[in-house]
Amino acid sequence: MSVGLSEYLILAVILFVIGLTGVIRRKNLLMLFFATEIMLNAANVALAALSSYMGDLTGQMFALFIIAIAASEVAVGLGLLILVYKKYGTLDLDDLNLLKG
Amino acid sequence: MQSYLYIALFAPLVSSLFAAIFAQQKKIQLVGIITSILIALSFFASVELLVYLMQTNKIVHATLFDWIVIGDMNVKFGFTVDHVTAVMMVVVTLVSALVHIYSNYYMEHDKSFNRFFSYLSAFVFSMLVLVMSDSFLGLFIGWEGVGVCSWLLIGFWYYKKDETRDVNPSISPSWAANEAFIMNRIADLGLLIGIFLIFWNVGSLKYNDFFAAIPNLNHGLLVAIGIALFIGAMGKSAQFPLHTWLADAMEGPTPVSALIHAATMVTAGVYLVIRANPLYSQIPGVGYFIAVLGTFVAIFAASMALVNRDLKRVIAYSTLSQLGYMFAAAGLGAYWVALFHLAAHAFFKALLFLSAGNVMHAMHDELDMFKMGGLKKYMAKTYLMMGIASLALSGIYPFAGFFSKDTILEVAFNEETYGIWFVLWFTAGLTAFYSFRQVFLVFHGDERFHELGIHPHEAKPYALWAMAPLAVLAVIAGFFKEEFVEFITKFLPPYEMSEHTEHLVWFFIIVTMGIALTGIFIAYKKYANGLRRDPKVENSFLYKLLFNQYYIPIFYEKAFAKPYKELSDIAWKEIDQEIVDATVDGIAKAVEVTGDVSRRAQNGNLSTYLKWMAFGLIFISLIALISVVVK
Amino acid sequence: MSHILSILIFFPLVAGLLGFLINQKSIRVYGIAVATIEFLLSLWLWFGFDGSNPGMQFQEFIPLIPSFGINYYLGVDGISLFIIVMTTLMTLLGIVGLSVKKDLKNMIITLLFLEVAMVGVFVALDVILFYIFWEFSLVPMLYIIGAWGGDKRLYAAIKFFIYTFAGSLVMLVGILFMGYLYYKTTGHWSFALTDWYKMVLPLDLQKWLFIAFFLGFAIKVPMFPFHTWLPYAHGQAPTVGSVILAAVLLKMGTYGFVRFSLPLFPDAAVAYITPIAIIALIMIIYTAMVAYAQKDMKQVIAYSSISHMGVIILGTFAMNVEGIGGSIFLMLSHGIVSGALFMLVGVIYDRRHTKLMSEFGGLASVMPTYATIFGIMTMASVGLPLTIGFIGEYLSLAGFFKVSPILTVIGGTSIIVGAVYMLSVLKKSFFGPITKEENKHLSDLDLKEKFALIPLVAIVIWLGIYPKPILEPINTSTKALVAFMHKKAQTKEAKATIHVSKALKEIKK
Repeated sequence: MSVGLSEYLILAVILFVIGLTGVIRRKNLLMLFFATEIMLNAANVALAALSSYMGDLTGQMFALFIIAIAASEVAVGLGLLILVYKKYGTLDLDDLNLLKG
Repeated sequence: MQSYLYIALFAPLVSSLFAAIFAQQKKIQLVGIITSILIALSFFASVELLVYLMQTNKIVHATLFDWIVIGDMNVKFGFTVDHVTAVMMVVVTLVSALVHIYSNYYMEHDKSFNRFFSYLSAFVFSMLVLVMSDSFLGLFIGWEGVGVCSWLLIGFWYYKKDETRDVNPSISPSWAANEAFIMNRIADLGLLIGIFLIFWNVGSLKYNDFFAAIPNLNHGLLVAIGIALFIGAMGKSAQFPLHTWLADAMEGPTPVSALIHAATMVTAGVYLVIRANPLYSQIPGVGYFIAVLGTFVAIFAASMALVNRDLKRVIAYSTLSQLGYMFAAAGLGAYWVALFHLAAHAFFKALLFLSAGNVMHAMHDELDMFKMGGLKKYMAKTYLMMGIASLALSGIYPFAGFFSKDTILEVAFNEETYGIWFVLWFTAGLTAFYSFRQVFLVFHGDERFHELGIHPHEAKPYALWAMAPLAVLAVIAGFFKEEFVEFITKFLPPYEMSEHTEHLVWFFIIVTMGIALTGIFIAYKKYANGLRRDPKVENSFLYKLLFNQYYIPIFYEKAFAKPYKELSDIAWKEIDQEIVDATVDGIAKAVEVTGDVSRRAQNGNLSTYLKWMAFGLIFISLIALISVVVK
Repeated sequence: MSHILSILIFFPLVAGLLGFLINQKSIRVYGIAVATIEFLLSLWLWFGFDGSNPGMQFQEFIPLIPSFGINYYLGVDGISLFIIVMTTLMTLLGIVGLSVKKDLKNMIITLLFLEVAMVGVFVALDVILFYIFWEFSLVPMLYIIGAWGGDKRLYAAIKFFIYTFAGSLVMLVGILFMGYLYYKTTGHWSFALTDWYKMVLPLDLQKWLFIAFFLGFAIKVPMFPFHTWLPYAHGQAPTVGSVILAAVLLKMGTYGFVRFSLPLFPDAAVAYITPIAIIALIMIIYTAMVAYAQKDMKQVIAYSSISHMGVIILGTFAMNVEGIGGSIFLMLSHGIVSGALFMLVGVIYDRRHTKLMSEFGGLASVMPTYATIFGIMTMASVGLPLTIGFIGEYLSLAGFFKVSPILTVIGGTSIIVGAVYMLSVLKKSFFGPITKEENKHLSDLDLKEKFALIPLVAIVIWLGIYPKPILEPINTSTKALVAFMHKKAQTKEAKATIHVSKALKEIKK
């Protein structure tokens, strides 16, 4: 059994749905972060697979970019999370609704 | 001759402006004197114009300057003195001058003496504009001008408060003034429509242009114009159903009643019909209607005068009745007869009012004739004047009223409108009765005024002298009938009696005199020897009907004034605020409510937002998918 | 002389900005001086105006955004000339009669800015420029009502602003669409009104565009049923605000009809005569009734304005020289008369701090000069001949009589219903005995008030007797306008309705 493009894409979709479910269901901000990371990586998988399939390096370059940006995003985001936790003492989304209109 | 025209026209304006300067100051006797002189000057200029016209038969024209010039509308301030105008001018300025002089006496204790003369002179100016203008729009200036002056003068004692109708049938001077103004405005709309019709069909508003164009206009249009103009005339001349204001106008000072509401302004309607005689002679149907309405008003007003107790109101009704006579004559095509009666009526009716003014002064403004009586002992001269005026009004030979009224009756007979003749003939009897009822109630019988603690006194000599010319004219004016006819028929169409009528002249004189004398005799029997009130008569339906003016003022109030007020309140509170404005505010509210509702979506919870986002993502993906599949 | 229009616009602007530097004490003198100079400038404009030339005069043209055809393009003709003179006059008299104590400086500067906008509206020949001035005029008025108004001033100010603004936005859509149409037909952009005049549009397009412009103008006029902002604005505005609002701002709407709706869309205008005339009749009679029901003196005048605007609309849509010229004259006369009436109400409000007629009664006895001037203005308002009010009303009605005699008869009731409510004001407030103790010692007009009012009395009588200096340029321009509309009209109906006066026809032969 060879691993073809469709298998990669199915993997990407599964990963994305897992991430999306996490984004919707999870209430903890930290968990949300993880879920977003999973979604980004789903996109990475899809990009890399398609890139190899099309014989075009641009997709893989993009994947590398995304990894780099995700890393910096995590660095900044985690810093913010720590601040939020220090200020409000919780990371539960239901308690963080300062923007209620 | 133009300079005389300008003097006649503008002397009253100068007089008015002069008095207006001092309007807010205390009484200045000089104002009364100077205004009187200026009006007299206007009178002499008018006489000069009349004489000139008699001698040369040349019509005087004068054009001042452009007024409204736009598009096809070209209206100048143009004045013309033809035969009708000259007669009107002389009548107007003569009565005005005498009333001005008389007012010096009548208003001598009034704190707004100067203001009064300003208004009165302004009225004379407006009236002269009305009769002297050479176009319908110029006439309209005067028409509205006299309306405003009448409004100012009726409401001269504006500070009096409103009473109920039982206390004062006119409610208050300011109320009566507004009533007069608004009723006149209703009619003015008719006149305005007539002016529009003439303008768009003839292209000019000048009398001469219009009369010249009459043969080219179709009959229906002429009828429409005739009706529209006559509606205007009905308001100014207080013809039914726009008559109620005239009796209420008696709230004004008595000289005003004499000048405006008897001699001059109220005859403006008659003047208009006479002026437009080339039109009305083309539409005899409308003319006949005018005659019938006039006849109806003659007897209608006379009937109300029979029972009224208010000195001035009786004379007001009699004015109304006589205006009806004039319209009857004008409507039947006897224009010069109408003008003749107009002039004669101006003299004796002004005299009657001024005499009533003397009585009012003597009676300390008491107007109820039932509270007077026996005054001839105290005011012999006024008695004489009022007697002359009443005789003239009743149409007794040789007084002025006899000649003019008798001719109207002859015209009615000559036109074979026997119904009109009979009603007018019968009204002549009523006229004689109520005139002498008044004379006897005021001057004869027991002295009922002592209960009020009044000490009557005769008017000042100069006031009586001011009345004297009117008295003389009331006696002799009739004898100038031949000269008048000769003069006026150079301009107005002559009116020839048929031979049949000529034969019956003596019969008419006897019959008419007969009924007039009968009327006087009944009045004498009933009232000369003191007042005997009969409660049975006074409680009868007919008496009450007449006394309450056929309940017409109350009807107008209930049917028009009140519903209008109520409708206005509804329009404001129910429609404007509850519907129109509420809709606007409702739209604004709807925007606000929508915002309020959608605000809830923004609850600040990131989790919810993310759910929305995911939902949106799926939704858009689905749409993309479907669109791909469908393609 | 060649830049007089720009001077007229920018002089008050510069003076208003400089006004911030003037101290509180001398600001009134400063304001009066500036307004006087502005008024004299407008008189100079009139003096230099050639009354026999029907076209645009004193044109100025500076390209702003040439690629989109938006330019600084000004001009004046017989239609707008006198509205400009009236604007500067009413601003001057408004400042002279100013009685506010609070923030006088801001008030005067605001009025000067307002003057910029008002003059701008009437001289702009570029539609975008017109629109900018049109909207800009809302801001100072919003401030005047909102800052110096009565108890419900914020409600009134916001209602005024949003309502008229909403209407203008629809008009803006119309303007942009019209500009786009011009681009499509000619291949280049232009918002110059004179270019737009040349465009002949099919009837259905005309109708849509007419409605878009109509909404903007109708709310400003205000026409029934878009009128309800007006009573609130007047009721809450300070005296000077009401004076300017009634005298000038309302005229922007009717001016718009004459300047835009009629020449741009003659066929649509003719097609819509009947519905518009019916609205005008509702305005005349219905608002007159509402005015009669009012208890507040100022509200009577406010509603009477709407009633008079109905007559103006009737005259405008008469489609002949008499009617349109009459309506323009009526715009001027109504501006002067209603402005004066609002000032008069302000006089009594300053003394008694109420406008309810039930609080007055018998005022004629204590304030005779005041009562006299009020009486003269009342008579002008009800259209008495030889006052300024008659000529416009008479000509408007006479003009519309050509279109429909029946509707004119109904509209002519304005002379009756107008008398009813105005005389009832006089009776309730001025006649009768003095019933209230407070009214017994009221002082008559003071010098400042006389300075503001007597010129208006003089104008009311002068132009009532000798309107020629004003009617002549109006006549020239209106004749040209009507002839132009007649030439441009395509539908048979429009050709038949637009009535070219005979004099002009003869000249053409």
